[in-house]
Amino acid sequence: MNCLVFSDNSDLSIQMLTYFRKSMDTYLATTVNDVSIVENYGAKKIFHMKDAVFPNDIAKTLENLVSSGNYDYIVIGSTAIGRGVAGILSHKLKREVMAEISEFRIDGGKTVTKRFFYGGKTVLEEKSDATILTVMPGISDPEKVSEKSQVEDISSAESAITLVEKKEKKSGTVDLEKASVIVSIGRGIGSQDKIPLIEPLVKAAHAELAGSRPICLDYHWLSEDRQVGLSGKKVKPKLYIALGISGQIQHIAGMRGSKTVIAINKDKSAPIFEECDYGIVGDIFQIVPKLTEALK
Amino acid sequence: MPYNIIVLIKQIVDIDLLKVDSSTGTPQVQGLPLRLENLSKNAVEEAVRIKEKHGGKITAICFGTEKSTSAMKEAYAMGVDEGYILTGYTGNNPSLTADVISKKIREIPHDIIILGNQSAESYTGMLQGKLSSILEEPLLSDAVKVEINERSATVTMALENENIVAKAQMPVIISVTQEINDPRFPPVMQIMTAGRKKINIEAAQFSPDDKIEVLSNTAPRSERKKTVFEDQEKGITEIAKVIREGMK
Repeated sequence: MNCLVFSDNSDLSIQMLTYFRKSMDTYLATTVNDVSIVENYGAKKIFHMKDAVFPNDIAKTLENLVSSGNYDYIVIGSTAIGRGVAGILSHKLKREVMAEISEFRIDGGKTVTKRFFYGGKTVLEEKSDATILTVMPGISDPEKVSEKSQVEDISSAESAITLVEKKEKKSGTVDLEKASVIVSIGRGIGSQDKIPLIEPLVKAAHAELAGSRPICLDYHWLSEDRQVGLSGKKVKPKLYIALGISGQIQHIAGMRGSKTVIAINKDKSAPIFEECDYGIVGDIFQIVPKLTEALK
Repeated sequence: MPYNIIVLIKQIVDIDLLKVDSSTGTPQVQGLPLRLENLSKNAVEEAVRIKEKHGGKITAICFGTEKSTSAMKEAYAMGVDEGYILTGYTGNNPSLTADVISKKIREIPHDIIILGNQSAESYTGMLQGKLSSILEEPLLSDAVKVEINERSATVTMALENENIVAKAQMPVIISVTQEINDPRFPPVMQIMTAGRKKINIEAAQFSPDDKIEVLSNTAPRSERKKTVFEDQEKGITEIAKVIREGMK
């Protein structure tokens, strides 16, 4: 069977190639600038759609591509652009779509998938005729292959939308998905000026600093690329240290893959204590300095 | 210049109150209160802001049930002028929802359609693209900022690694993110007036679709150790050991 993978994101591209090449022949269509990052992950061919930008013109370009090939499945990385593309393509090609999947298998000619539901509180396992899937980040740990994929440049379809400008997001070079220790802060931290009090622990544990949705998106105390959760990064470090994080399900969905979870929270009934391996009930600003000291 | 704006709203069970049966892992949905979905509020707010600045009319469409009047009243209180509830919603199925909603949209003259980018309960994000394809109107997705000028809409789209500013001619579809605005709390007078306003309720036209078979829908099992210390000193000693182990 043939599988066409599309993503505008290089990490998702290589995760999906690694995951789907186990059961199908994979082809990659991508808009990433630098294809060298994705050319060692087993794609039979890479279609480089350099100039496509928006869901409409990307979907149109993919539609043309699909009409000249035989793809049993089209799998699309769940990004802002990817979700738009999947909806359009599903209607244009009259193929059913299943969204935000985290697992996939074929059973008796049907598609069996898993995805989060009720904001991450449950996992929905469904059997369907879907042959277009959007895939949640973190579906596999990318593994390289020795041979390089052949690259073909594909010119993009016309767009009714004009690109006015691109704005870089304020972000550093943090790569939470690859961090082996993460210290993550939530609303319990109280205010932005308290963040420096956490930094000695981050250093002592050789960790990356991350935060919950309110910290990164609502208050902007940390940059957006440090957000862990359903709408942010899905991380799986060896150690995840949650400080003042209540443990809303949307957050849990982003850190469920962590090997060991440590939680410090003053609220004994915080849901995070149901999702941790080790926890301390108490004030983070009393505990963190002592913990840092104990690590030295 | 005034605009005809359609805003799509959704009513969901209050997922923050959703409990899961601890032995079977099944969600306890029965009896849960319903609420206007979070992003629907952002969508309504953005529509109302455009109307306040440029004038026009806002029509809300909700694919829901007879119980969706409370969601529509909330939208009215925030500033929606007219509302349609299409009854017959039974569950998350973006293709069916797109079909039902697009039929209603075709009956209503419009310049701008506004909806949330990913609803809080299912997170699929499929409706925006489906509507764009069905209605053949360009999609400006994941908006954190919207500017309207004459017959064009300029939208800042929040992507994962960058923001892009995009411009398209009306009619356009704009999906909004939670960050775009802070939805207003309407004053009591507006809520009371909204309560008396007529809501159009129509049965949605669609053929039943049972192509998706649910195999299971349960809470993921947590296999964490859940060793929680209330004795801080003891906890610090133990946890320092765990961290040192994890750092190796």
